[in-house]
Amino acid sequence: MILLRFVLLRILGGIALLLAVSALIFLMTDVLPGDVASRILGRNPDPERLAILRAELGLDQPLGLRYLQWITGVLRGDFGNSLISGQPVAETLGRRVLNSVFLGALALAIYVPLAVLPAILQAVNRDRPLDHAISALSLAILSIPDFLLATLILIGFVVLMPLAPARSIVEASSTWGQALHAMILPATTIALVMATYAMRYLRDSLIEVLQTDYIRMARLNGTPQRVLIWRHAMPNALVPFLNVTALNLTYLFGGVVVIEQVFSFPGFGALMVGALLQLDVPMIQATVLIAAAVYILGNLAVDLATLALNPRLRHVG
Amino acid sequence: MSGNPRAPLPVSLVLGMVLCGSILMIALTGPWIAPYGPTQLGTGTPLSGASLAHPFGVDQLGRDVFSRVLHGTWLVLLLSLSGTVLGFLAGGILGLVSGQRGGWFDWLVMRGCEVLISIPILVTALLVVALVDTQTIAPLPLIIGVIGFVYAPRIARMARSAAIEVATRDYVTAARLRGDSGLRIAMVEILPNVSGILLVELALRAAYAPVLVASLGFLGFGLRPPTPEWGMIIAENRGLIFIAPITVLGPGLMLATLVVGINLLTEGIARVIGRSVVRTT
Repeated sequence: MILLRFVLLRILGGIALLLAVSALIFLMTDVLPGDVASRILGRNPDPERLAILRAELGLDQPLGLRYLQWITGVLRGDFGNSLISGQPVAETLGRRVLNSVFLGALALAIYVPLAVLPAILQAVNRDRPLDHAISALSLAILSIPDFLLATLILIGFVVLMPLAPARSIVEASSTWGQALHAMILPATTIALVMATYAMRYLRDSLIEVLQTDYIRMARLNGTPQRVLIWRHAMPNALVPFLNVTALNLTYLFGGVVVIEQVFSFPGFGALMVGALLQLDVPMIQATVLIAAAVYILGNLAVDLATLALNPRLRHVG
Repeated sequence: MSGNPRAPLPVSLVLGMVLCGSILMIALTGPWIAPYGPTQLGTGTPLSGASLAHPFGVDQLGRDVFSRVLHGTWLVLLLSLSGTVLGFLAGGILGLVSGQRGGWFDWLVMRGCEVLISIPILVTALLVVALVDTQTIAPLPLIIGVIGFVYAPRIARMARSAAIEVATRDYVTAARLRGDSGLRIAMVEILPNVSGILLVELALRAAYAPVLVASLGFLGFGLRPPTPEWGMIIAENRGLIFIAPITVLGPGLMLATLVVGINLLTEGIARVIGRSVVRTT
């Protein structure tokens, strides 16, 4: 019962936080110099037309009421219309989010072995040269800004080893193979960025687990090293790794903006940057809200997953 | 472990100091040692690659990229360091005071921080830069302010949890009974006892700040062209990466050197004071 209460409270807290963030985003986009109507009509608008348009868009209503209208629309999946294209925001958004989800799934598939295998090598060879070498390499990659890493990978694979396309363009007509081919470089970059973070956590927690009595017992019983690592140590070392992974995933919606830009990938981040450059207010509100929602849900998932994976925590409440 | 004066300095600390020191030297002398002006046109054959006269090549307009990078170094350091310090001061004070005061004030501050932290760093920065009218605030203070703004709530949360640990100790209770003000307790009693954690956090944030500055410049949300900020130089020459890759790799290398330097410094400091480095979002 205590557990159920905790889970419910945590979920309610997440919803409350999301509502507060949505209010902040709405407020921030509202204090813009000049409102949406004057932006549509351009410089020195005719005051009469301005008043008509303002009334049409509902801008003559008080702020609180407009927020309520916006947020109830959002809950029904209606984010309003883009100021630039006039199309419903939700349509464009849906396509781009889908692209980013595919990119994320591919990145995740590359990320898991990229993080797990070096971490195991490090833990097994603790404090030996290999451990230090991998640590140094991961610190170096961690220190390269992501857009530079993306550029390096682009130059390396497109110029020196022409295996992948220079622009990761995915169209509705692309086949699965083409899409995969186009996404391989950005996905690898993202996986590399995420893996350098996660590797360190996994190494440390593996080392900690390998020192426990039950591992020593299994080793003395003659359990082979491979079974020892994968069957006995890994499950207990995974919790911090999963935590970092979930937080890494939130990086996909908001952090990868620059990587998408380098590879010209039509993802979620590129949409947000475009909206911000053109001050397309409804699109800005929608994209920033989604980035925040992914972060909040990611954290919520981390908490609940930790609880599910570690039965000991459940009794503490 | 910590505090042994005879222990040799960690390699990472020494290496970090060398790298950061070199960048600092370049920042201070750059405008004088650069062979050309930052916006000087016709310095060589446009789009030419690396050569002795132009180590980082020549861009489309015939400007020497190496000179632009040298002229921009102090700017990158100024923006990222003052932004970090601003966020650190605002967030640190808020977090320490909030942690030792507790009650409704603490609740309010922390919920506010949670709301701000929920929007990823880069997204918040882009949003603020896009929304603020550059007619009212010049780009330079705006970028510094933005870095401070995204860092403050994150540092506040960290400082608060460190302060809470200390706040229950006897000497803090004594100060409170003595009638000291909240700010005074935070500064005189708590700050010295959490300074190690704060120092590592400061170094970590300082390492990300140049990346943030360059990312903003790269995406077109930075200073105005033709300012030689590194991210903007990289963006200008992005189209040349297959013709003259050095025009992108040169400034990129400088940026990576700075970040690697600060990261090594962070690891070194953490080792000296016996703390581990915890990276958060």
